[in-house]
Amino acid sequence: MAEIKLRNIRKNYGTVEVLHGVDLDIESGEFVVFVGPSGCGKSTLLRTIAGLEEISSGEFHLDGKLMNYVKPANRGISMVFQSYALYPHMSVFDNMAFGLKIAGVSKDQIQKRIEKAAASLHLTPFLQRHPKALSGGQRQRVAIGRAIVRNPKVFLFDEPLSNLDAALRVATRIEIAKLKQSMPDTTMIYVTHDQVEAMTLADRIVVLKDGKIEQVGTPIELYREPASLFVAQFIGSPAMNLIPARLTKAGNETEVCTKDGNTIRIPVSSGGELIDSSVMLGVRPEDVWLAEAGSGFLKGCISLIEQLGEVQLVYLEGTFFDQPLIAKLPGTTELEVGMEIELSVKPELLHVFDQNEARLKRADFTQHSEPAVYA
Amino acid sequence: MSTQNIIPEVAHKPKPNPWVIVGRGVLQSFLVLLGIVVLYPLLWMALSGFKSNTEIFNSPFALPQNWSFSSYVDAWNNGVSQFVVSSLIVTAMSIVATVLISAWTAFGLTRTKIPGKPLLVGFVLGGMMLSPTVALVPLVRMMQSFGIYDTHWALILLYTAFRIPFTTFLIRAYMLDLPYDLDEAARMDGATEGQIFRKIILPLCQPIIVSCVILHVLFAWNEYLFAMIFTSSADTQTLPVGLTSLMSKHGTDFGQVFAAMTISALPIVIIFFLTQRYFIRGLTDGMGK
Repeated sequence: MAEIKLRNIRKNYGTVEVLHGVDLDIESGEFVVFVGPSGCGKSTLLRTIAGLEEISSGEFHLDGKLMNYVKPANRGISMVFQSYALYPHMSVFDNMAFGLKIAGVSKDQIQKRIEKAAASLHLTPFLQRHPKALSGGQRQRVAIGRAIVRNPKVFLFDEPLSNLDAALRVATRIEIAKLKQSMPDTTMIYVTHDQVEAMTLADRIVVLKDGKIEQVGTPIELYREPASLFVAQFIGSPAMNLIPARLTKAGNETEVCTKDGNTIRIPVSSGGELIDSSVMLGVRPEDVWLAEAGSGFLKGCISLIEQLGEVQLVYLEGTFFDQPLIAKLPGTTELEVGMEIELSVKPELLHVFDQNEARLKRADFTQHSEPAVYA
Repeated sequence: MSTQNIIPEVAHKPKPNPWVIVGRGVLQSFLVLLGIVVLYPLLWMALSGFKSNTEIFNSPFALPQNWSFSSYVDAWNNGVSQFVVSSLIVTAMSIVATVLISAWTAFGLTRTKIPGKPLLVGFVLGGMMLSPTVALVPLVRMMQSFGIYDTHWALILLYTAFRIPFTTFLIRAYMLDLPYDLDEAARMDGATEGQIFRKIILPLCQPIIVSCVILHVLFAWNEYLFAMIFTSSADTQTLPVGLTSLMSKHGTDFGQVFAAMTISALPIVIIFFLTQRYFIRGLTDGMGK
């Protein structure tokens, strides 16, 4: 069991506040990923959980016990550092045994635990080597092994894959996913700025911005129901397309009008006070498709095509969107730079963000039989 | 088809620039000359220890006619053995004390959170500016009141105290470059500050520790001022002071004087040649990336 409760966690460095009151509950055995741009406080939050940073105010409970003043080693938490932080003058075996020796574990136990961890991480042939004689991936596995042998209740990963090349990163990501499967009761918290890692590994993702939690949810929730413009843009690659518009009709079915006069009715709820206010329409690149001439909602000229084989990313310049709009279209569709094309979109796949960058909620009814109406 | 087209072109090594060869030759000659300038006096001193007084004055640059160790044996029996023992005791003990205290101080100054750390760094390193000559009179009174005047402890204490600032300065520069993740990983593993110092940081500082040890050996082995003022009996005198008294006693027996000087210089030359690689690495590693 390792249930984590964070209550109004604040962290100050002098007069600068880095964490502005973080509240979060993490269930036992959950794999939670902290994501956010550089400087958003995700690593600081992880380090406060580890005990490497003091909590300025607020409470951190682990299994109901207040952990604020408990030493890092006594929290039952292990951490894998971004730089691996292996002791360079010790062999792999000694690196893994260091914490156990300090804890006074018997030699037999140390030997058993290290052999078991080394076997599961394919490190047995390297136990007598020093870290400098290992590849990046092997070092990373040693760092994980060092954390495993302590039988922690909570595992912390601080951007563990950022020093690896692309191929090794994918392989190690799969290793970490398998590791989680083999330790179902261990809670894992993982910090990354790579959304692919976040989407593929997490049970839940915590998106941080400027020291505050922006949204917490499953990967698919964050992708399909982003709470704010920031989350919508941060999760998903390529990022969600944004189209400036004006809200013309409020209610359970909101009507918006783009800059060039196109209107569309979207099944989201809006209050009357929003009428005539500026909003942002969001649409994922894969939620648009080619339309017959004259029937599309989005019109523009192709400025760039990135052919990825299965799909192609088509960059569209238009009169009513500020940045190029990206459409993920089938790779077999024959398109050329300079072509004028039109794209269709389903209204229920559109997102509307108000002036506070909050996303308008879906309307209560789920059925939407009316086709999109373009004026 | 011509032969030229069939035979592939052989890649020729580019012709070296003659000025580069000349420059390299000049540099190497200069280094050889420098080596001779440094080593020849030492060699001459060692060879003169095998000569009689007559040989030294009549043919100072010739090889000894008889390779006699009598001057070395006489010098050793006439007090050099005791001076060597004193020098070894003072040097070894002050090395251990200086390096351990300096390393622990550097650890505190680089890897712990202390309020007013810059001030503390300035205070410790400011000790480098303290002139030993100016402090002589109060130090004599202090050693007398401690009851350690004319003992090895006086020199051990003074050598340690006066070398701590510089040694701390060197070790601190090195420690600043060691990643802080190591301390944090050790802290997560349950290590105390003392364990982090002993088991992680100190072993990683080995190159700079070796450099500090060599620098301290050079200083303590050759130090004259403190040794002359704070020791007066033959039992406590170290080599530099002991050699001076030997010269005043056997000043006319130059063979013995040269032999005594060679015995005093030999350990330091051997140590330096054996450890010079670590010495240079330790000093340059601390200079940053």
